[in-house]
Amino acid sequence: MEKNEKMVDSGGFHPQLTQLIRIMKLTSFLFFFAVAQVLAVSSYSQATKLSLNLKNTTVKDVLLVIEENSEFYFLYSNKLIDVERKVDVKINNKRVENILYEIFEGEPVVYSINDRQIILSPEGMVIGNLRNYTQQAKKLTGTVKAEDGEPLPGVTVIVKGTTTGTVTNADGSFSLDVSADVETLLFSFVGMADQEVIIGNQTVFNIVMISETIGLDEVIAIGYGTVKKSDLTGAVGSMQGDAVAERQTTMVSQALQGAMPGVTVTRSNNAPGSAATIRIRGITTIGDSNPLIIVDGVPMDNIDDINPNDIQDISVLKDAASASIYGSRAAAGVILVTTKRAKVGEIGLQYNMEYGFEKPTQLPEYVNVTRYLQMANELRWNDNNNNANEFPLYPKDEVDNYLSLNGENPNRYPNTDWVDLILNDNAPRQSHVLTISAGTKAVRTNASLSYDKTDALYDGRSYERITARFNNDITINKFLAASLDFNFKRSISNQPNTDPMYFTLISAPVYAAEWTDGRVAEGKTGANIYGSLKNGGFNDSWFNDVGGKVALDFTPLDGLKISAVLSPTLGFDKRKNFRKKVVYYSADDPSVYGGTLQWNGTTMLSETRNDNYRVTTQFLANYMKSFGDHNLNALAGYENYYAFNENQGASRDQYKLDSYPYLNLGPLEFRDNSGSAWENAYRSWFGRVMYNYKNRYFLQGNVRFDASSRFHPDYRWGSFPSFSAGWVISEESFMKDIDFLSFLKLRGSWGTLGNERIGNYPYQATIAFSNALFFQGANVVSEQTAAQTQYAIQDISWETTVSTDFGVDASFLDNKLRFTGDYFMKTTKDMLLALEIPDYIGFDNPDQNTGEMETKGWEAELGWNDQQGDFGYSVSFNISDFKSKMGDLGGTEFLGDQVKKEGSEFNEWYGYLSDGLIQTEEDLAASPKLNTSMKVGDVKYKDISGPDGVPDGKVSPEYDKVLLGGSLPRYLYGGNIRLNYKNFDFSLVIQGVGKVNDRLEGLMVQPLMENWGHIPKILDGTSWSKYNTEEQNLKAKYPRLSQNNRGNNYTMSDFWLFDGGYLRFKNMTLGYNIPSSVTSKINLQGVRVYGSISDFLTINNYPKGWDPEVSASGYPITSSFMFGLSVKF
Amino acid sequence: MKNKLIRLLFISGLFLFSACTDLDLNPLSEGSSENWYSSESEINMAVNDLYRNVFWPRDNDEWTDDYTRRDLTTPITNGTINGEWGTVISVWQNAYKTIARANTILANLDRSVGAVPQTTLDKFEAEARFVRASQYAMLISHYGDVIYFTDVLDLEEAFTLSRTDKNTVLQSVYEDYDFAASKLPTTYGSSELQRATKGAALAMKARIALFFQDWAIARDAAKACMDLGAYELHADFRTLFLSKTKNPKEMIFGVPRSAVLNVVIGNTKNWINRLAGGWGAAEAPSWELLCSFLCTDGLPIDESPLFDPRDPFKNRDPRCTETIVEFGTPWLGFTYEPHPDTLNVYNYKTGKYVKNNDTRSNAAFASFNGLMWKKGIDEDWADDYRAENEIFIMRYADVLLIYAEAKIELNEIDQAMLDASINKVRARAYKVAVSDVTKYPAVIAGTNEAMRKAVRIERRMELAFEGRRYEDIIRWKLAEKVLSKDIYGMLDVADLRSKVINQGLWFFPQTPEIDEDGVAIFEPIYNAGLIKRLALRDFDKNRQYLWPIPTKEILINDNLQQNDGY
Repeated sequence: MEKNEKMVDSGGFHPQLTQLIRIMKLTSFLFFFAVAQVLAVSSYSQATKLSLNLKNTTVKDVLLVIEENSEFYFLYSNKLIDVERKVDVKINNKRVENILYEIFEGEPVVYSINDRQIILSPEGMVIGNLRNYTQQAKKLTGTVKAEDGEPLPGVTVIVKGTTTGTVTNADGSFSLDVSADVETLLFSFVGMADQEVIIGNQTVFNIVMISETIGLDEVIAIGYGTVKKSDLTGAVGSMQGDAVAERQTTMVSQALQGAMPGVTVTRSNNAPGSAATIRIRGITTIGDSNPLIIVDGVPMDNIDDINPNDIQDISVLKDAASASIYGSRAAAGVILVTTKRAKVGEIGLQYNMEYGFEKPTQLPEYVNVTRYLQMANELRWNDNNNNANEFPLYPKDEVDNYLSLNGENPNRYPNTDWVDLILNDNAPRQSHVLTISAGTKAVRTNASLSYDKTDALYDGRSYERITARFNNDITINKFLAASLDFNFKRSISNQPNTDPMYFTLISAPVYAAEWTDGRVAEGKTGANIYGSLKNGGFNDSWFNDVGGKVALDFTPLDGLKISAVLSPTLGFDKRKNFRKKVVYYSADDPSVYGGTLQWNGTTMLSETRNDNYRVTTQFLANYMKSFGDHNLNALAGYENYYAFNENQGASRDQYKLDSYPYLNLGPLEFRDNSGSAWENAYRSWFGRVMYNYKNRYFLQGNVRFDASSRFHPDYRWGSFPSFSAGWVISEESFMKDIDFLSFLKLRGSWGTLGNERIGNYPYQATIAFSNALFFQGANVVSEQTAAQTQYAIQDISWETTVSTDFGVDASFLDNKLRFTGDYFMKTTKDMLLALEIPDYIGFDNPDQNTGEMETKGWEAELGWNDQQGDFGYSVSFNISDFKSKMGDLGGTEFLGDQVKKEGSEFNEWYGYLSDGLIQTEEDLAASPKLNTSMKVGDVKYKDISGPDGVPDGKVSPEYDKVLLGGSLPRYLYGGNIRLNYKNFDFSLVIQGVGKVNDRLEGLMVQPLMENWGHIPKILDGTSWSKYNTEEQNLKAKYPRLSQNNRGNNYTMSDFWLFDGGYLRFKNMTLGYNIPSSVTSKINLQGVRVYGSISDFLTINNYPKGWDPEVSASGYPITSSFMFGLSVKF
Repeated sequence: MKNKLIRLLFISGLFLFSACTDLDLNPLSEGSSENWYSSESEINMAVNDLYRNVFWPRDNDEWTDDYTRRDLTTPITNGTINGEWGTVISVWQNAYKTIARANTILANLDRSVGAVPQTTLDKFEAEARFVRASQYAMLISHYGDVIYFTDVLDLEEAFTLSRTDKNTVLQSVYEDYDFAASKLPTTYGSSELQRATKGAALAMKARIALFFQDWAIARDAAKACMDLGAYELHADFRTLFLSKTKNPKEMIFGVPRSAVLNVVIGNTKNWINRLAGGWGAAEAPSWELLCSFLCTDGLPIDESPLFDPRDPFKNRDPRCTETIVEFGTPWLGFTYEPHPDTLNVYNYKTGKYVKNNDTRSNAAFASFNGLMWKKGIDEDWADDYRAENEIFIMRYADVLLIYAEAKIELNEIDQAMLDASINKVRARAYKVAVSDVTKYPAVIAGTNEAMRKAVRIERRMELAFEGRRYEDIIRWKLAEKVLSKDIYGMLDVADLRSKVINQGLWFFPQTPEIDEDGVAIFEPIYNAGLIKRLALRDFDKNRQYLWPIPTKEILINDNLQQNDGY
């Protein structure tokens, strides 16, 4: 305090200015009165909540301010209480007890509240209700903690039906003198459910407060600011940090799955360190649909660079009104991540650790070796027109006696279970987080350090990540505050030279992985993925990011805050791929050279380096002011962003030695290197006005002007306005009488967003360089070549998305039941897309402003929470759906078996209509054909049209392919159940997809991939076969086994589509907080232990062995089994 | 405080000002087309691009009857080809990329008139037109009528185009080649880059004229190329194709490869025997090819008394054993012998006998028909399975045979002509002089029909595995016959032993009959149960003489119609 005073003095205020500031000190603050809906006690002190923000003000003045703005009055003696002491008070919407606690913390002052009257007295004097002043008293003590075992300071503890009470101190403990006849204590805290406890004979109370999952008082982040959830006019989803951490994923992106309606998270594998794809409200554009990630106000490339434990909360800006403050880059939505910061009065150290392991949810199954030989023979026999030789590949003797032959000579007749050999039963995983936080009024620091390591299901692969984050807030004086943040991330991804998954799955058992004496075997003529995995070298990457943020907040007047932010992020990545030559020798004679493994022909080292940096600078001015019932919040800002990337690569091949992965050890002849660089920049102006009247009618307007380096100077600027409005109907007098309704708000918004993520120089026809070889005499030399490869469109400019949203937020029955629903429409115009141009133009498809698409969808969330004595529970469920239709695109885009064209859905399946299997020769003769190679047992297709617009008797790709339905998931849902009883807590999270058209991919249903691979078990007995009876064949699910007709049978058609919807039990956690009576004995503030399992059950239609989320040859989706311990010191 | 405030505002203002990033950003590691093509070195780099090997694909011999890929077929040989086949698309795309780049150069040459000597500009123009002609020639020979343009297309114009008659395109191709021939040098010095030459333009013109049966044009162009005197046949047929023979005088146009410069044939294992670490003739010569080589008396195997089905390599045209590995001879360090009773073979490197992995009795995936490709393959293929053999696009022997064929079709047959063309090629194979007719079976002037058969057989023997066979069977309308025949190989080991070897019938159980087109007929032997049918082939003669236009092109441009039958 003294220090601040001095600083103000030495600053040399002009006398008049000093006077002004003095007046401001007394009068400028923010007050919000809110009627507390929940409290059972209806006394004035319980019902009144205050907000004030005063700095360096005497206690006396603070008390005066409170008196002026409320009906409280204070009784105290100047002689007994030091009221000239200067304090800082920053209270948002809290009861008067909290303010008093804040003012007198550490001071020898106690206070007693009697309705509007507050008595301050020196410690030691008995306090309480004046009328009971002389009554006999008893002392109640205890501690109050949050669900995670963290002590809760500032919890109001009152005797129910009276105003006698106190608040808990920094370690969550309280002590209260009450009269002997009191019955019930009431504990309350903002954001937590109130708790009543019968006193009885008890004098020591250990209370765990349960947070209200989605409280309307919750403050959530919006663009460049925060707002109370109840004041929102746009569609914003939010998730608390503890809910993120609770998912037990290393990657934040995966933790968002099923957490919020309208946020689609898909994963294709669960490899260590793998990220999931996030889509907000479906697909808005053909180009990049990744949402913009903003961490503590600054754009960041990858949400997975953040440790989930560092997250305070995540907001997702879904509609244009919320996101348009980010204008240009917000077309696909915005994810705002706020990291944890320390609070005043907080001090502590927390250590969390988790150990566990992962197991594949499912693995595909394959036929046994004998069936393999039989079915492989059948396949060849089919391809040879079913001639006399039914054993074209494996002789009958061999087929009949394979197992005994294997016993005699396993080198010659191997029976290898590749999956079992390569995939371990489980992969261990661990993480450790150390958090230190300390907050004084001047400096508040939250520091965390974490380490994660996940091993993989096969050797040679792992993911490690170290993150550090230091968030510091410094209050310099009444006008100036600063925050200094620093973060660091290093992740290390170790992988074998060859990703083994595909070959592990397809390798047939008749090839040996190791000879019986342990040497590398030949596999399928060198395709031995096991040998390659064990000996073939590594492909390791290191990613380092260092970021920071310096922000200065200048508050010249109350309500006006001017901020300057500078945030650089530097990245240094390195990759080293050391491929080792692996030689195999004859099974019988180790001196006989066999060859090299398919992926390991020579020893080669290639290294790449990436150097990048991003700099964001921001200037923001925010003004908040209330004029009676009119509340105003205005923001203006300027932002700059610059990104730079430079890559270099170098390699040498034909190393003689394979133990020195350094470039200087390779031969000079086989050197190669590469380099590239790019940069881009934005400049933006933006503003926002939020206004509300009586917290009942809300209006908001945003606008952002963006310029991007990606466009020609003449087409560079885009403007993106938006408007939204909200009406809290429940505040209207005519609604006040409806008892069961606690809150009801209608919202509507309209806005535009921009997108320009299409490569860095799209308006310039760049010249690409390459090399060509020429003879020069008898030598071969390389010459540089140059060519324009892209057709450039100079007037290319912003793509815009117009989005409209209608929403309703409601809660019922004392906020126990909550509902949020939204309907939205998004229309994207001037869409930037690389439209298909005729190949004969000779250039790659250029990006151009063409085309429209429209997405319509809805989302809803329903929740219930309640507390019955020691038992608290909550349930919530969310669901969303959207459908995108392509408008006039000015052309068509093909993506293999999916298409985007006018009238189609986004990436709709495109192929033939099937008509079962061809069962007989007559059937074959009568059926239209793709070509003359079709045979009985193949898939039959429908003839839709021909060159003249009528069926031509042929099935051809030009005239007979039709749209087969959307490929994107529909009806995405998620939900959770939380229970707590005394020191136990339990949660269950589910997630799923209602319906999706999925395709049975090659690996799932095709025999002999690569012409030598394995045969999926699901084909055995279900394929059309010459050996079957007619009835069996009528029931066959799959076409006859064939290699040569692969193209006919497995081409895109509805034959292979099925409903891939699923329900997944994402996570189940059971936790226990060790009672403080135990932990306090060992000087710990809290200990929590928990066990958690993730991805442990799914219900779906997929072929046996295939997880609905896995991409066929990808790393499996895994279940994880975790044990965790969290200790607070 | 006031000063402080002002100071703070000033500093933040400065900060604001300095924080304005420049938005005029240009590519950092690429050039800009705005001002390209303005200097000689820039145009030169653009012209260089036209020589990249991706733009010079050859037809795949897998699409012909010269090839066996175990029991597999291709979309051409099993008749499943359609407009979505990757090769149909990529050949089309790459041809038009090359054409667009050549057109861009041609359209921009006048930018540097004055800055670059006219003769240099003429040479650039000639090279660009040579490349463009070659691409259009390839397109019309595969797709028939195609989109034809000679300027830089803009998007709107592109959608209005439709297919131009192939004969019209052909005339333009001739004009381009003629211009190129008139401006290009005949040879380059040994310190110069070997780019397109006059001879290359003439030879390529002769080739496309022959395809479209413009016999006189083919004859004249081939003759003009021969008359340049710039080319001669390489003395040794075997070494001509090996990677150590660089830029031989026989090569008229080719694309080099270099291991050091990282341009190689990858995955050579397909053609290498298993003992040498390969995949044992995953891709192998067909029995039909083996049977198509004449015997040393100049007769086909079913007529020649010199042919022995028990030893099919004996008394054959020397190119037979230089194209296909003869049984029992050293090959890549081992004795090559597919006989199932030869369980061990000699390892020349160690001097020991090793298990013979090149027979199916020891290795299930050893060559299914016993044959192994030899032409162009050398020890260096097996070192690291990467090879740097150059790609022959045009060589002198081909020109001689084009000339012979054109003359024969024009019925201008005389011995001198034959000696100057087809016999020159054949004599080189025997490593003797043309006149030394006792040492090789020279072609003697005869009927038009006999001569036509002779030149066709000669082409097959001379040009096997050089990507020429596909175009030949298409233009001779032979594809419907040879690609409707099935692929044959040896019986499985047990049957082979009992039905063939124990009967003393190894290797060919019978001598296959050779028909009037020089095509071997195996059906009777198959019907006798003595050989195995490896795969069925199917060729739809109603459509497959032309490839389909890529499906995507038809779907996005209403002016385009697919070729008949697709």
